[in-house]
Amino acid sequence: MKSKVFSLTKVILKNSFQNMETAKSTNENKNKKSIGMIILYVFVFLYLAGIIGVFSNGLIKELMVINQEQMFLGLILLVIAGFVLIQSIFSAINVLYYSKDNEYILPLPIKPSQIVAAKTNVLLITEYFIVAIIGLIPLTIYGILTSASILYYISMLIVLVTFPIIPVLISSLLVLIVMSFAKFTKNRNRFQLIATLFILIVVFALSFTMNDSTTTPEQMAQMVIKANGMVEMLRNAFPTLGMAIDSLTNVSLGNQILNLALLVITTAVIYFVYILIGQKLYLKGAVGNLASGKKTKKKLNEEKAFRKSSLSKTYIGKEFKTLLRNPIFFVQCVLPAIIFPILIIGLTIMGMKGEQNGVEMDIASMITNKTSIYLGIGVLCAIQFFLMFIYISATAVSRDGQNAVFMKYIPVPLMKQIDYKVFPNIVMTTFMSIITIVIVEYLFRLPIIYLLLITIASIIMGILQSYISIIVDLRKPKLEWSSEYAVVKQNMNLIWPVLLGLLNITVLIVLTVVIGNLINSYIFIALIAIVYALLTIATRNYIKNNTNKLFQKIY
Amino acid sequence: MIKIENVSKSYVKGKKSIDGLNLEIRDGEIFGFLGPNGAGKTTTIKMITGILNPDEGDILIDGKSITKQPLKAKKEFGFVPDSPDMFLKLKGIEYLNFLADVYELPNEKRKERIEYLTKKFEIYDNLNSEIQSYSHGMRQKVVICGALLNNPKNWILDEPMTGLDPKSSHDLKEMMREHSKNGNTVFFSTHVLEVAEKLCDRVGIINKGKLVFVGTFEEMKNKFKENKSLEDLFLEITENEE
Repeated sequence: MKSKVFSLTKVILKNSFQNMETAKSTNENKNKKSIGMIILYVFVFLYLAGIIGVFSNGLIKELMVINQEQMFLGLILLVIAGFVLIQSIFSAINVLYYSKDNEYILPLPIKPSQIVAAKTNVLLITEYFIVAIIGLIPLTIYGILTSASILYYISMLIVLVTFPIIPVLISSLLVLIVMSFAKFTKNRNRFQLIATLFILIVVFALSFTMNDSTTTPEQMAQMVIKANGMVEMLRNAFPTLGMAIDSLTNVSLGNQILNLALLVITTAVIYFVYILIGQKLYLKGAVGNLASGKKTKKKLNEEKAFRKSSLSKTYIGKEFKTLLRNPIFFVQCVLPAIIFPILIIGLTIMGMKGEQNGVEMDIASMITNKTSIYLGIGVLCAIQFFLMFIYISATAVSRDGQNAVFMKYIPVPLMKQIDYKVFPNIVMTTFMSIITIVIVEYLFRLPIIYLLLITIASIIMGILQSYISIIVDLRKPKLEWSSEYAVVKQNMNLIWPVLLGLLNITVLIVLTVVIGNLINSYIFIALIAIVYALLTIATRNYIKNNTNKLFQKIY
Repeated sequence: MIKIENVSKSYVKGKKSIDGLNLEIRDGEIFGFLGPNGAGKTTTIKMITGILNPDEGDILIDGKSITKQPLKAKKEFGFVPDSPDMFLKLKGIEYLNFLADVYELPNEKRKERIEYLTKKFEIYDNLNSEIQSYSHGMRQKVVICGALLNNPKNWILDEPMTGLDPKSSHDLKEMMREHSKNGNTVFFSTHVLEVAEKLCDRVGIINKGKLVFVGTFEEMKNKFKENKSLEDLFLEITENEE
């Protein structure tokens, strides 16, 4: 049993990592490029680690002043639980069910429980990369600042290995249950979409309830007075959170070991139960998901079926159809544009609820030129942050896979096709920008002209990002993939929109700090919009003048 | 007519995948393109269709250069690629309508062509389903229908018989004959030597990027002065070049 699970885990992992590098290049070039990429990844890791480190250092020191530093441990563990829960839900559906390797694995003499165990291991190992950034760094800094003993560091490592397991199991279990209904469905695509959306809603609801504290003001006051009392608020937010906190904070060695043992045993028991459920449910979903359903011949509506359309309409329509009908592409490329505004709305409404208990402030009357610049730039930075997760353009060519050559043999200019391929990205980024701005307006009541300027700047920013992202995809398209999942999750190209986004945010902040006080807020935002527009024109011209060169990798 | 003029192509520096290829496929001719795996058939087809640019030389489709006037040249041919897994999330009718829009087919003509081709290949009743639900053969048929939709003068087909059932394969061959009889050109690659022998007016054999034979089967037999089967002749030609 063990060896089969181990081999399967190894094969799935190896396959995923091999898929990450598929560019056709010579050995010499490959070496140079891979060294370059390693430097880039190290840079990105250090950048993120730096940000998290600086933030942790500041927060721990603040909490130490009020004797509440243990609150930090609770917060970090809660963030890990929430992050892993949401992150793993996306990967759990794909790895367990939508992955093409199921076609090869299911006919092999391997028990469903072994497949579930191997695939869950793969999910976990991937999550550990994230935990290394958002968990290891802050908790190490905590250890240093609180002069913790060696025992703390040993406990920390055990906690970081065990604690993320349960969030992964919760996501996977939810996926196993929902997908077991796949065999009852006739329309596989529709079922996959609805199931994915349902699972996402449940997980987001779970994450929200994790943050929903039921502490009364009296209890709160007591917690604040008591040294490290505030951490108590978080203990029950997640099943094993209390044990994990105690494993890291208890003064007595015996207690610490006892809590660690409890954490490990609880996790092991839940894992065992999960595997048992997996044994019962997995095949139902996996087989149902592979079967294409009962084939029904739907009659053509002859009046509508043969209607001529304009090329732009038909091409853009094709792009939207392939995006919306493919659950992986929909979830990974389109949904973030819808989810982020919904999350903002959710948080805003929760914030509003909190505000009603306190003193309501007339924010609008407090806005000066300086604050309105900060606000405008803040909105642009937030929108830029969300833009980094909309991959429609960054995968526009790769999504076509080996069909991408189609672009080269049809009698349609390549530049026109790029414009059509970029269009869905522009639509979704505009949609996301507008929702964000509507919420900002609801909260801050900005003057309409100023708001309009921010809207224009953010829409142009989205267009600019759409064109830059397609250059990234064209330069190194990922055309040979075995599962759609590889296009969005094992595609290192997607690091570029994140890097460029971070660069844009940094430039915006530096500009605001340097010249924000010297310039009128309207002019400032208008100038930014003009710069974005000029960059967009330059980027589009670059593509237009280099189409043949950019399409070289597609053959 | 398709004219390949002194075309060369290298993927790796110093190693030519196609080396000085000269070939003319005349109007009214069915031309079979043969060769072992990795000989350069698909690379040649990719250059004819504009997917790859030749390093040297040029390719003319009805006198229009694929490198200098790509849009005009691309309007002159219909192409069936080697993999029929095209746009699986589109319905058959959506795929064909998309192509009809790309080739600017007016409403009346598109209805007539889609009905004619899809009924001939017996996929008309499946047009309202996603291509993903089609069998391999049905996918091949819908791709062939798409390529022939605008009734192009030149047909370029990469392994077109793969996956087709006997009736569809027979129908496609009949359509190829009819098309060439009307003065048009059919250029196709195949591994099935019997198909080439029965169907083609002339064949070209490519090996290691070089054209090692062009002509009719009679010419092939005369050249080698042997009364061997096509299979034996093919093996002899390609092995002699080792």
